[in-house]
Amino acid sequence: MRRLLLSALAALAAAGPALAAPAPNADQILQRAFDNYRAKTSQTTVAMTIHRPTWERRMGVTSWTRGETDALVRFTAPPADAGNATLKLGNDTWVYNPKLNQVIKLPASMMSQSWMGSDFSYNDLSKSEDLLTSYTHRLIATEQAGGHTVWTIESTPKPGAPIVWGKVTIKIRDDSVILEETFFDQDMRPARRMTADKVGVIAGRPYPVSLTMQPLDKPGQWTRVETQAGRFDAGAPAYLFTLSNLQNPRS
Amino acid sequence: MLAALAWRNLWRRPQRTLLSLLSVTLVSGLLVFVLSFQDGVYGQMKQTTLRIFDGYAELQASGYADDPTLDHAIAAPDELARQAQAVPGVSVAAPRVNGFAILASGPRSYAAVVVGVDPAREARISSIATTIRDGRYLTPSDTDAAVLGDLLAKNLGVRVGDKVTVLGSARDGSVAADVLTVAGIYHSGIPDLDRTILEMPLARAQATFQMQDAANTIALGGPSLAAVNHALPGLDALARRSGVTLMDWRALEPAMRAAIDLKYAASMLFYVSLVLVVAFIILNTLLMSVLERTREFGTLLALGMRPGQIGAMVWIELIALALIGCATGIAIGGAATLWLQATGIVFPIDPKLLAQFGVPSRLYPNLSLMSALAGPGALVAAIAIGGLLPFARVLRLTPALAMRGG
Repeated sequence: MRRLLLSALAALAAAGPALAAPAPNADQILQRAFDNYRAKTSQTTVAMTIHRPTWERRMGVTSWTRGETDALVRFTAPPADAGNATLKLGNDTWVYNPKLNQVIKLPASMMSQSWMGSDFSYNDLSKSEDLLTSYTHRLIATEQAGGHTVWTIESTPKPGAPIVWGKVTIKIRDDSVILEETFFDQDMRPARRMTADKVGVIAGRPYPVSLTMQPLDKPGQWTRVETQAGRFDAGAPAYLFTLSNLQNPRS
Repeated sequence: MLAALAWRNLWRRPQRTLLSLLSVTLVSGLLVFVLSFQDGVYGQMKQTTLRIFDGYAELQASGYADDPTLDHAIAAPDELARQAQAVPGVSVAAPRVNGFAILASGPRSYAAVVVGVDPAREARISSIATTIRDGRYLTPSDTDAAVLGDLLAKNLGVRVGDKVTVLGSARDGSVAADVLTVAGIYHSGIPDLDRTILEMPLARAQATFQMQDAANTIALGGPSLAAVNHALPGLDALARRSGVTLMDWRALEPAMRAAIDLKYAASMLFYVSLVLVVAFIILNTLLMSVLERTREFGTLLALGMRPGQIGAMVWIELIALALIGCATGIAIGGAATLWLQATGIVFPIDPKLLAQFGVPSRLYPNLSLMSALAGPGALVAAIAIGGLLPFARVLRLTPALAMRGG
């Protein structure tokens, strides 16, 4: 879950103190943020709140990640949702539903749809590396806030890249925590924004423990992801990231 | 007195007058038919297209058009449907739940629109029930049955009797999951529908998508599109009272509306030039006759007739010509149109090709007050305005000069 969501949203944790390197360039800031954030493996426990004008829903999630592209997300609460799971291997995504006891591979046309009713799409999960690989980056502002240097990077899609956004702007703190990410549509109007509401410490890392994604054209609608616990680089058994484990969890 | 003079003048040159009459008759008759034909074809096109799935009008939860999600729901659709059905011109109102989901069968999966329908009422709105290719349409006693388009069935690799898995998001954000059995496969001929729409029983869809008793839309049907269009004010009042939004056919099929508007605009250009050409021919003839009769007008002036009276006489000749021609034109054109309206017109075009545009292979013109009067009316108006030209010319005449011929 952490890797899946947060790398899409690019929230990073730096291992150790931030380097005091003067004026690094945009690619370096982003790459270092991603590198620092990418533990070889991770396991996190997360609470996801989906807020709508007429209702609010709170779900419990456990997630595992391995390397850059593999992830398993399993819902643990409420009872109605417990057992639902999403597995991502490379570019493929499968979902498991306990009521049907069935694994379904996601069709490409569903990838832009809401994931589990949230304000995140399946693309946010599965195309998490896009920001690094399919964009060019430019440092557009440097400011001081709360004792930290905060860089603002503007990322524009490379020509021909299959990206739906016009551009993305990202605010990164000097300890490699991403504070804010704004997605602009093709007309360069801000379409949605993810904000780090709270930066804390998880397993010794500076970490955005609360992140809120908000579609800007739908007032009163947002999804918040709060990380409660995490383990990094503790290794992950290979069986975790398999279709059989998706359907019949061993643990 | 002027009218009697004008009438006499017309028949002093019977050949010229008859020729003028003939051209006015022909053009106004043609306009009556062409306008009726166009109206009839577009009417059929609209009706056929709307009959496939939309219905002639629709009540929607407010906000649904901009954001078609389950969240925008009508709380008590059955009560609202009953009230809508009570509006004269509406004969059936069918609530629908429109969910978006993944359909899966074995290793294959596709995104689709899952529509919860009331089978009995739905069959009176949408022609999907009549285009079942394999199996059967839904019946009121069905629980886990589904019908889907042939392209969707092919993509999923399912046949009648197979299971289809539905996986999507419910209204409350939880997972909507269900397994349905394919009861029928339809072929509407519209690829967008055949590829995307699965219909299932309304109650089951309400349960699967956590809608309780709510629905997203209520499709409306009637004996004809015109009947439902007449009911729009009543429906709009009902929609306002109930806090929902009314969508008429224009709102449901904006692309078709735009296409029809464009066609009308293009043919209008043709009609206007036709009217203008005929008006000019008639005017030309009359101007000639005015020139020929300059001496006569001079004599009349010398006898004490005022120039305005002579001008009015000439103008009345023109109007009489136009009115008689148009009346005959309407009579002949209208009769021909009525006859074709009864028999229909068959075009030697592949019916399948026409069906793609929602056009049936036999076309019927539709004679109305509007289509009968618009063309001839425009012609009379054009001639009446153009007739001010000879009128002005007569006003400038002086008796002495006119009697000498100019």
